[in-house]
Amino acid sequence: MEGFTLFDTVVLIGYISLIAWIGSRFGKDQHNPEDYFLGGRKIPGWAIGLSVMATQASAITFIGAPGWGFEGGLERLVTFINVPLAMIVLILVLVPIFHRAGIYSIYELLERRFGPATRTLTALLFLIARGLATGVVLYAPALVLAVVTGWSVNLTIIIMAVLAISYTVMGGISAVIWTDVVQMFVLWLGALLSIFFLVTSLPGGWGDVFDFGAASGMFNAIDLSFDPSVTYSLWAGLLGGFFLHVAYFGTDQSQIQRVLSSPSVLDAQRSLLIGGYLLIPQMLLFLFIGVILATYYQQHGLTPPEDLNELLPRYVVSAFPSGMAGLVIAGVFAAAMSSLDSALNSLSAVTVRDFYSRYIKPNASDAHYLKASRLATIFWGLYATLFAFFAGNLGPVIEAVNQIGSWFYGALLGTFLLAIFSHRANARGAMAGLIVGMWAVWAVSALLDISWLYNNTVGVAVSMSVGYLVSLTAPAPSQEQLSDVMMTEAAPDMQAVLAARADNAQVIGKEARLTRRRCIGLFIWFCLMLGMLALLQGWANEWWANG
Amino acid sequence: MVECLTLARRIDVAAAQKRLQRLGAHACEPAWVRLWATGLGMADGQPGAWLLSAQEMRRALLLVGAELPAQKEKPSAGVKIDSGSPPTPKALDRLWLWERIATPRHWRIQLLDSTPIPIWLPCWLGYARGRHLRLTVLSGLSGETLPMLKPIVLKGLQQVYQNGQASAPKSSGASKRRETVV
Repeated sequence: MEGFTLFDTVVLIGYISLIAWIGSRFGKDQHNPEDYFLGGRKIPGWAIGLSVMATQASAITFIGAPGWGFEGGLERLVTFINVPLAMIVLILVLVPIFHRAGIYSIYELLERRFGPATRTLTALLFLIARGLATGVVLYAPALVLAVVTGWSVNLTIIIMAVLAISYTVMGGISAVIWTDVVQMFVLWLGALLSIFFLVTSLPGGWGDVFDFGAASGMFNAIDLSFDPSVTYSLWAGLLGGFFLHVAYFGTDQSQIQRVLSSPSVLDAQRSLLIGGYLLIPQMLLFLFIGVILATYYQQHGLTPPEDLNELLPRYVVSAFPSGMAGLVIAGVFAAAMSSLDSALNSLSAVTVRDFYSRYIKPNASDAHYLKASRLATIFWGLYATLFAFFAGNLGPVIEAVNQIGSWFYGALLGTFLLAIFSHRANARGAMAGLIVGMWAVWAVSALLDISWLYNNTVGVAVSMSVGYLVSLTAPAPSQEQLSDVMMTEAAPDMQAVLAARADNAQVIGKEARLTRRRCIGLFIWFCLMLGMLALLQGWANEWWANG
Repeated sequence: MVECLTLARRIDVAAAQKRLQRLGAHACEPAWVRLWATGLGMADGQPGAWLLSAQEMRRALLLVGAELPAQKEKPSAGVKIDSGSPPTPKALDRLWLWERIATPRHWRIQLLDSTPIPIWLPCWLGYARGRHLRLTVLSGLSGETLPMLKPIVLKGLQQVYQNGQASAPKSSGASKRRETVV
């Protein structure tokens, strides 16, 4: 056990300084506006997609998922198995509408559809939920710092908060997509190296992992139980997790922000596609590390740390060669900073756009709004810090983030779906649906013993049905209110116009719908992943049965 | 009165057809949309990019480049759609402010204090069959889809159609569709 050596510290500081230098060199010191705008366009789509993934979850995945795997094997993968399906809904339904509406914050769409009260309430819910989840994201690198230095987690939370807030207020480095890509590779490299070192330290190598994993049912990823109290049944993952992810990627401003800023719908789809394809393999990788760590702990007779989030950082620090541990820990740091930067930015943008500029200072100068957005960043940083102190009690960080979301996101998604799919729904119904939907989630989770994954389904179902029924008690919305969600070209008079034009336009050959192909690809990927998990489960059980 | 510039079409018919085909369109035609360009750059500097907007647009389009890629000729074949008057200077300022807050990287770039220049933006319109006929608007400069222009284009096409119908009895027997600026 080498621990975190001086060389590791040098690598850690060197890596972070390098990332900061790249950020300031390529992100800020460009005096030609053309460079600012073209910067993002010269970068290939796959790099942008990886950057999106890096911003989304890499640090908490690195820390949280091995804890999950250690505790329950691959069973929790069902939480993510639905991601390709969720991406299909986003690509087909939400992204085109958001893009066409020309909005900065998605809650604006609800104002145009249902009025200002709905926008204010939904934006407020986003701020509360994302602020809490940011606390968990802040906790993750603080925990790593605590493991590395031996300091108390509360102290490292404060240090990380000060670093993250100052860094975001100064402009952040998330503009530099290549640094995110590097971080992504460093984290994956760290994961693969962990597997290598762990497996080679076991006398029987992979055989030991499969023996232990099969014996303790860790490869049982698919639980077909219909019992709703089974937290990670396949049905909970498909039905509950699906709504969780549609809501998370589609109605959370911090996630959809990049999609709204994409130059076109196709670019926006591409970044969602990468998440749709890579999220399951990435989770599988880190859950598998948890299984290998469980084998390692069992063979070496070790006692796992009380907080399972510490598992992988502890292992990396103790087992990796000097320098390599520093690099991987630095990757976790940098990735966490990128996530924090993006979350704090979106929290501050929504605060200024949806609240401050509307209710407090509607006609202030640009400089004033810049100052307000910086103060908002500090405020949300402090809010997240307060919550970060409690994040350690919530179990694996990755589950904590999703559980927080599930309290709010179901009803929020229900309101968006009501806005899009029901042309009869109105402001009264939307507000009633939103409030009753959240209340229903609270009531169900407090009174019934059902998987938390169903919270989102309950929220969507209740908010939509209550929203629709209450809408019937008030007049239907005007055509203007429906303009963002109605395909204007579907109206009969517009169809006549388009038909006349299409008849005289040049005919293009055979149709080959890109969006349809992309969605079919995601569906096939979902089936493949599910099939692969079923095969792994069957094979592991057979392996164990045959001794 | 500032003269209306015509931006040169960079995506030719073959490239546009290829892109629109991937999006499911079965027919396509060229079009021109009249927008308003305002320079973007560092304070007291030359423009490095242009904000293309119209009063009815909720978010502006960004055209990168120090100079507007204008051509000498007037808009060639294709339906011409006028988006109406430019946004007020105050509305433009706000439009750019929110773009900058949404993308902090752009914070240092300012809207240059100049009168908006009217421009004809080349586009390609794709028509896709399905349960309904659907319209796709493609930029004739970059080939990107421009969903935010769709309401303006649909309104413009409707106007062209109505003008065509109104003038049909007067010019009975005229087989060729008239392309009017609306």
